Amino acid sequence: MKEPSSQTPPVPWWTAGILLGLVQVLAIGLASSLDVSSQLVIADAKTLEHVAPEYAENHPLISDKEYNKFGYGSWLGIGLVLGAFFAALHLRMWKVRATSAWWRRNHNDPVLLRLIAGFCGGLCAMLGAGLACGGVIGQFIGGWAQLSLSAVPFTVAVFGSGMLVAYLIYPKTLAKDGRGQ
Amino acid sequence: MAIPVVGLILGAIFGASLVLTGLTDPDRIIGSLRLKDFHALRTVVVSVLIALLGTWLLGMGGVAHLDIKPAAIVTLLMGGALVGIGLAITGFSPVTGLACAASGRIDALATVIGMLFGAHVYILIYPSIVAPLEKILNFGQVTLPQVTGTSEIPWLVAVFAAGILTLIFTRRGRSEHAELPSQTGLGVSEGNHPAGSAALTTDGLDAVGVLRMWKNFLFVVIVLSLVLLQAMFWLTNTGQVELGRDAGSGAGTGQSAIEANPSATAAIETQEPAAPRLLPFDLTMDHITAAVNSVNAVLIFASVLYVATAYVALSISIGGGLGGLGHVSRAFYLSVVVLILLLPWQILFGRVGLGVIYAPDELADSCMTGAGGTLQTALFYLRFTGTWALAMLVLILAQRRSIRWTRAALRQ
Repeated sequence: MKEPSSQTPPVPWWTAGILLGLVQVLAIGLASSLDVSSQLVIADAKTLEHVAPEYAENHPLISDKEYNKFGYGSWLGIGLVLGAFFAALHLRMWKVRATSAWWRRNHNDPVLLRLIAGFCGGLCAMLGAGLACGGVIGQFIGGWAQLSLSAVPFTVAVFGSGMLVAYLIYPKTLAKDGRGQ
Repeated sequence: MAIPVVGLILGAIFGASLVLTGLTDPDRIIGSLRLKDFHALRTVVVSVLIALLGTWLLGMGGVAHLDIKPAAIVTLLMGGALVGIGLAITGFSPVTGLACAASGRIDALATVIGMLFGAHVYILIYPSIVAPLEKILNFGQVTLPQVTGTSEIPWLVAVFAAGILTLIFTRRGRSEHAELPSQTGLGVSEGNHPAGSAALTTDGLDAVGVLRMWKNFLFVVIVLSLVLLQAMFWLTNTGQVELGRDAGSGAGTGQSAIEANPSATAAIETQEPAAPRLLPFDLTMDHITAAVNSVNAVLIFASVLYVATAYVALSISIGGGLGGLGHVSRAFYLSVVVLILLLPWQILFGRVGLGVIYAPDELADSCMTGAGGTLQTALFYLRFTGTWALAMLVLILAQRRSIRWTRAALRQ
């Protein structure tokens, strides 16, 4: 399946940054800092409540009422998915894709391997977000916006490990077609 | 029902923003991590700066709903590393993975499924592994100003400076072909070097190699010295140093430029630290004095040599007909500006002219006088941190120019 390379974003980077920053400010002004990664833990907690109620009741983390409620964060997650879906449709960017240009360049386009890697990467990312009490949006953007001490070690670790692993997994750069260079 | 509606609307705007901004493209994320395509990184940096400014303003108005995450250093480092690994493998973060899955990406869907498993693993290992780790080096829900005992302004300035520097460094490079200005301003037209000057060019290129080595070495020395100077200011300012009777005693290199408050000079008492002790040993003003004097000396010598190296590079470029004259000219003048910014002009001009280099007794007097109103506080940090940041920025710009000169010259 021939897939398109990186798409040109609809807005330039500075507009994009201002837009995202204002969304974060709006969130902090109205309710709370943006953080969706914890909602997956809550979703799993609610599943465990039904599947293994005794375990959930005695668990030191998910027995907390914070993990039992379907509140602001959960609606934020739902809104996120809906907003992304409709925006992609509207901008004609909705398209079934399975790999990326960097993956094809370095791994000869095996879709199955990409899906397995995606699964493993997602597992790592979510485990890390749980440990760090937030992901890139919650800890990095939200953390620095609030001058939180936690943002410092998180930033160092994310970019340090991210750059190193990216270099190992994607050693070949993209061809000079104006994208990714 | 207000909270669900707010969450839904904010989430929708957020999700749409992610698509608009291109952060749902994993190639952009990987490109940023591979330092090839900086769109995603620059977007995130700008969003951090805007969010920081907006949050600060909201905080001043008392309407910010802050959610400070606990600073458990060990789990933060481990978690950050895992997030970075996941980000690098897939090009998706937990949030963008959801948005990408909604945009039709099957690989993002696999990532989301992986994230659900990851959440489950996290819950399973929480009691035995995560909970004990969270207790190690846990400073609680604290902010950087709280830890350092300062106001938010210096941190705002620092983060903004770091963000702007990142934007500068990730700017798409201009074409680096050799620049051949018609007039150098020094009476020599570069294009007139005689044919057959291969030997001259070869010698010039040899000189470029030597100069590059010395320029880079001096740059590192100056940067380290500046960092040490700033570190000593912050150690003194945050109460990590005992400002006792030894404060500034006879070891300063110059006079204090800022007229000390008479009440501060009247009776010098031992100052209690305003913030928790971060160092495992005691620091006195004697240590700071010796360190500041040493660093000042190194800084002055190194910056003078740096300027001299830039001047020699400029001369060689002109005489040898090498490329990159525009770059090396700018590098030379920027290095002169750095030197001017560094020198302790307060010795000659008092308050009118202040250099980055400060005397130990000036530092002790300023820290002991303490902050008055907002203006005094702003001027205080501007003097010790603002000018420092400016000098550092100009130095980095000078070094970037000299690097471009080196490339242009060697390419020729």
